[in-house]
Amino acid sequence: MNNFSFSMGGRALYCLIFLGFLLSFSPMLAKNHSKHSNLFFQQHKVQGTITDGINPLPGVTIAIKNKKNNAVISDYSGQFVISSSPYDTLVVSYIGFKTTQVPIQGRSVISIILSEDTTTLQEVRVNAGYYTVKESERTGSIARITSKDIETQPVTNVLATMQGRMAGVSVTQTTGVPGGGFEIKIRGQNSLRPDANQPLYIIDGVPYASDPIGYNQTSSTYPSVTSPLNSINPDSIESLEILKDADATSIYGSRGANGVVLITTKKGKSGKTTFNLTASTGAGTVTKFMKLMNTEQYLAMRKQAYVNDGLTEYNSWDYDINGTWDQNRYTDWQEELIGGTSQINDLQGTVSGGSESTQFLLSGSYHTETTVFPGDFLYKKGGSQLSINHHSLDNKFKFNFSAGYNLQDNDQPAFDFTYDARSLPPNAPALYDANGNLNWENGTWDNPLRNLNAKFESKTKDLVVNAVLSYEIIPNLILKGNFGYTDLSTKESRTAPSTVFNPAYNISSANSSIFLNDTDRSSWIIEPQISWNKNIGDGKLDVLLGSTFQSQTTSRLYQSGKGFSSNSLIYNLGAANIVTVLLNDETQYKYQAFFGRVNYNWKQKYILNVTARRDGSSRFGSGNQFANFGAIGAAWLFSNESFLKNNSWLSFGKIRASYGTTGNDQIGDYQFLNTYSITGVSYNGIIGLQPSRLYNADFGWETNKKLEAAIELGFLQDRIFTTLALYQNRSSNQLVGIPLPGTTGFTSLQSNLDATVQNTGLELTLRTLNFSTKNFSWTTNFNLTFSKNKLLDFPGLESSTYSQKYRIGQPLNIDLLYKYKGINSTTGVYEFEDLNNDGRISFPEDRQLTADLNPKYYGGFQNQLGFKNWKLDFLFQFVNQKNRTYGMGFSGQMSNENSRAVNSWQQTGDTGPYQTYTTGENSVAVTAYNLHSESDASVVDASYVRLKNIALSYDLPLRLKETNCKLMLQAQNLLTFTNYKDGDPEFTISGYLPPLKVITAGVQLTF
Amino acid sequence: MKTIYLKTKFFIALSLVVFYMNSCDSFVEVDLPKSQLTSTSVFEDYATATAALTDIYSKIRDKGILTGSNTGISNQLGNYTDEIVCYGTPTNPSLPFYNNQLLATTPTITEYWNSTYNQIYAANSIIEGVTANTKLSAENINQLEGEALFIRALLHFYLTNLFGEIPYIKQTDYKKNSVALRMSSEEFYQNIMQDLEKAIELLPDNYSSTERIRPNRLVAKTLLARVYLYRKLYAQAANEASSILNQTTLFNLEANTNNVFLIGSKETIWQLKSAAAGRNTLEATVFIFKSGPPPLVALSNTLVNTFSTQDQRRTNWIKNVTTGTTTWYHAFKYKEQNPTAKSLEYSIVFRLAEQYLIRAEARAHLGDLIGAKEDLNKIRNRAGLSNTDAQTQDEILKAVLQERRWEFFTEHGHRFFDLKRLNQIDQSLSAVKIGWNTTDILLPVPQSELSANPNLLPQNQGY
Repeated sequence: MNNFSFSMGGRALYCLIFLGFLLSFSPMLAKNHSKHSNLFFQQHKVQGTITDGINPLPGVTIAIKNKKNNAVISDYSGQFVISSSPYDTLVVSYIGFKTTQVPIQGRSVISIILSEDTTTLQEVRVNAGYYTVKESERTGSIARITSKDIETQPVTNVLATMQGRMAGVSVTQTTGVPGGGFEIKIRGQNSLRPDANQPLYIIDGVPYASDPIGYNQTSSTYPSVTSPLNSINPDSIESLEILKDADATSIYGSRGANGVVLITTKKGKSGKTTFNLTASTGAGTVTKFMKLMNTEQYLAMRKQAYVNDGLTEYNSWDYDINGTWDQNRYTDWQEELIGGTSQINDLQGTVSGGSESTQFLLSGSYHTETTVFPGDFLYKKGGSQLSINHHSLDNKFKFNFSAGYNLQDNDQPAFDFTYDARSLPPNAPALYDANGNLNWENGTWDNPLRNLNAKFESKTKDLVVNAVLSYEIIPNLILKGNFGYTDLSTKESRTAPSTVFNPAYNISSANSSIFLNDTDRSSWIIEPQISWNKNIGDGKLDVLLGSTFQSQTTSRLYQSGKGFSSNSLIYNLGAANIVTVLLNDETQYKYQAFFGRVNYNWKQKYILNVTARRDGSSRFGSGNQFANFGAIGAAWLFSNESFLKNNSWLSFGKIRASYGTTGNDQIGDYQFLNTYSITGVSYNGIIGLQPSRLYNADFGWETNKKLEAAIELGFLQDRIFTTLALYQNRSSNQLVGIPLPGTTGFTSLQSNLDATVQNTGLELTLRTLNFSTKNFSWTTNFNLTFSKNKLLDFPGLESSTYSQKYRIGQPLNIDLLYKYKGINSTTGVYEFEDLNNDGRISFPEDRQLTADLNPKYYGGFQNQLGFKNWKLDFLFQFVNQKNRTYGMGFSGQMSNENSRAVNSWQQTGDTGPYQTYTTGENSVAVTAYNLHSESDASVVDASYVRLKNIALSYDLPLRLKETNCKLMLQAQNLLTFTNYKDGDPEFTISGYLPPLKVITAGVQLTF
Repeated sequence: MKTIYLKTKFFIALSLVVFYMNSCDSFVEVDLPKSQLTSTSVFEDYATATAALTDIYSKIRDKGILTGSNTGISNQLGNYTDEIVCYGTPTNPSLPFYNNQLLATTPTITEYWNSTYNQIYAANSIIEGVTANTKLSAENINQLEGEALFIRALLHFYLTNLFGEIPYIKQTDYKKNSVALRMSSEEFYQNIMQDLEKAIELLPDNYSSTERIRPNRLVAKTLLARVYLYRKLYAQAANEASSILNQTTLFNLEANTNNVFLIGSKETIWQLKSAAAGRNTLEATVFIFKSGPPPLVALSNTLVNTFSTQDQRRTNWIKNVTTGTTTWYHAFKYKEQNPTAKSLEYSIVFRLAEQYLIRAEARAHLGDLIGAKEDLNKIRNRAGLSNTDAQTQDEILKAVLQERRWEFFTEHGHRFFDLKRLNQIDQSLSAVKIGWNTTDILLPVPQSELSANPNLLPQNQGY
């Protein structure tokens, strides 16, 4: 099946975007008005273009070897004209690139490609949000990846691009279903509320709300509902910065506690109009299956269970062994239900260029992905990105505009088949009967493919627009306005037609139902700012003041329709017998702030950076709406001291430290009000009202104090560069839904809890330039994070509702477990330590063992090799962690089992390791199984090393001017090494579709 | 120098502008979301206060103990005792009930506990809301408070019969409720009776609508009669039952057993209206099946075989389904599985037949054997059976229990509660239920609840 064709599923809108993109090729006809007519000057004139291989490079110095005072600088389109003799040699130099010598050899037009010099990356300016800072002069902790790292990865989610590449950033994929979720933790979990650990996302200066837009009744990307982050197109990203410490995040105040993710989209560069087209196609499969029993093993287990239970007759409903089902049939349900191949196609195009004062970039993308499930399902994503930059001739007025519009259209089955794939008896009947209809085997099973009739559809449109205007009123005083607008709308539906039920139920379309979710979120932001700098003494002072006004409106409409005269009308709510509005809501979030930064840099040796913010948020009741946050950061560039200057081996040395506060207001809106909400359910024609929550207006911000110290060292012209950072973050005044006993009427209450959570860690990064010759280059990047999460303080934990969830001195992400003793060799049942010696296994006294489920350490090891036209880039990601085994239920029931469970207890004296089989009659064994799944035996090593990404590319030697053609082979999750036996080791909640292994081949054309 | 001065001045001026823009604190004030009302305003208007009250009936109908869905006790306690046999896949939530292998983590158990206390919270919120407000009329306040008190008593009654000695929650204050203590049965029932007596005082005699879907004074008395019976206060039980049975213009036994569960049945004392026009009961969707083997549950042969062939309840309330050579049976009290043009059946909580059997049992205990037989025969005769041949007090009591089994199968766990209160549960069930243990007379308190409120420890025996 070829999904590449537009007719297949490409919606008209995507085509339009592409049409727009293709039309923009028209300047090609106009050609470049380069100055070709200067050949008859007395002296030889050389003109040319300087690029980095793709984009033109402005500001490059072009000098003539052994001649003084005749250097020129390339213009914004990378072009230059220089007078020389025909036999001179040009010396071309530019910060961040290797200086190159080019003999003129009589040519009058020369194209020069500069290659990047990794050893001068210290000169790169890093985006810190409200300001930029030179890499060597930053006082804060900022991790960064750029488009070069992103483009080698065949992924669609922006969080996926970071996996294994940044110290202190832990990303876990929660499901392999296209459009599904990722979980990110920057320097660990700060809040007791699991869903309040999201970083703040900012795209080109506009905050991007990451709160879910899905609804649990209309989602198939379990365990999480649809996240808006899927809308972001990784290929439109130029750089991605993560702000980690107080120095970098305090300026984001109440929203900086969990770190800040800054996304900068690609911008145009002046010079020749450049076109770039990339097309790729590939395939994805599930990384790892579980080893399950075959029919022989399974039936032996079932029969033994009957023997063990002393039962002589099979129940009428035990179809698997009572002769109803074929005893010799075998189906590998994992292969059948989640073993398909996902076809992936991707097309990207960019056109960019511009003059010295105005540049533009327009890009379009289209991506399709089928699923590994049976059936025809397709995920489509398309989008367009536009960027325009302009500055006045006097360079005083600047204007940047960027707009991104992305569309997603996701069709999926309404259920994840992973559970069925793992639990169906291996001798369960065929999926289809001889006529090709779903086979119900006389109503003896729930055919898993019934769920193919239940569909999930999601359509998301997402617009992010940003404009920045700045004007230099008087020298060094710049007035700037940042304006942003976001508009996101999503429509989701999930159907349950009567055909998903066993026909034995005789359920007609009168019981078919559909759930609909219509969520729109829009926001605007205005941030007026002033910045001023001045040289004072031997130092430079930078001052920034600004203010933020932000407003966000979210409207949600959840509806359900039940009862249709025919299943073909199921998408027509008007045809439903009963239409219920489950939620019709519009919530507002308003946010206001004032912020400032003062930076003093003395002789590029001592740097002091002070940031502060005063925040107000509508999420708190009056009296609690405002709070102050601030940080101080300092750096000492000791390599710039006279005693180390020109040191032959130490090329760079910096010590930096920071301390400050940030906050967290991720608690949802209106939580401080005492309200009744509409239920949407009617009684006697009256739509019900229910108490929304337990009332508590008196809660305030969660505060997070961050401390960091780091040393950065560069050796041998920075060919070896390493950073070692130590951090300690403490979150207090925890804002949580405190779990309450059901007798309160609710299961939680929003409140500040006087508890402190600490995250400490060590982050190491190492970059080495192993080889750098004309034909061969080899760079290695390594990052490693050791992190520890700890509950420091919790007054009254013992008597609180958290008494059986947390332990002081232990991480938050622990499981309290029974202590497994082994198998009772007489009864064949699991046994556990009776810690309180009361003669039985009791809760909570005996469930007191703790297991830390946070990764102990994690990181990545990346190598980039270049040999002539070849490039190879590969990344190994490693995580050292423990996780839960997959709970299959007690062995012996009508459900498949791990093949290792064949080693079960059979007779007195056996030691297992697995307990006696039971059909369910042996309640001691059933209870023991449940205890076992809550014991230390259920927590195992789930560490893994994964070839996360490998990308090979080859530049075709075309001998065409200004045209490049690159062939690419890319793979994600290609190899996984792990001791974890229950499927893929990467998950947050087990039992959902594992991440996919993806291989794609592509071609990139630049001209 | 001057330019620097000017710059500085300019900078300060601009800073002030930025500051000024920031000074409007009202920016962060937001409007209420359109789906929410403040609690105070809900109780200032009779319409919204009524919506808050009637929503509890929706919740009782759809969630928790009394729901007709497969997780409600009509189905689950049928599985737990000898009325129902469980079929279907291992994920069928009835399986742990059918096997008598409940755990403190069984989802249905947590659901019973949490959603019932949530419904109790809503009732308490009404009681506090209407008594605090100043805008409702006294008549309206009495109506709302009376119904809320009745709900509170009703839900607590079922909770204690399932979970034993548990907290009686009379306020919304979570600080008190989160550390609530177990209460002795004696004190617990005192609270139920107090609430019912006050509800009887506040509520009017009339139904507020023809469909008998909102409780009035008589409904509260119906429950009180049952409470007295369970507490072995036979004189009061007989008395309360009589006060219902004497309302002959309102209530009568339907002569035809096919009409008992219809909306207009004269036998209905209180029923729960379905969620939308045309919808019928959840019970019907759970119990009815058209071909075997049953997808969820079927009536047990043990139960079906005890009926005599003339019994109209066997004929009209049980349906045979034959596939191949095997016959299964399902409850057919509620007959409408699918929506109909106009709703035909609602889920009935109280009906008149129970009052006859309450009075029969009470009278037998009080020594009024003739009166007892008279009441018992009313039910027997309506079902097409002849008068009872029971003579002695013991025989009559036995006959009443047998009659209750035939009359109330798959209706809100009557069988379980009867066997339990009469101390006959072990002898009746241990023979037919392999998994039955003496300690199964109580369900386990949910694990989550014990973790959150250690005051409720220790766990009920056997879990």
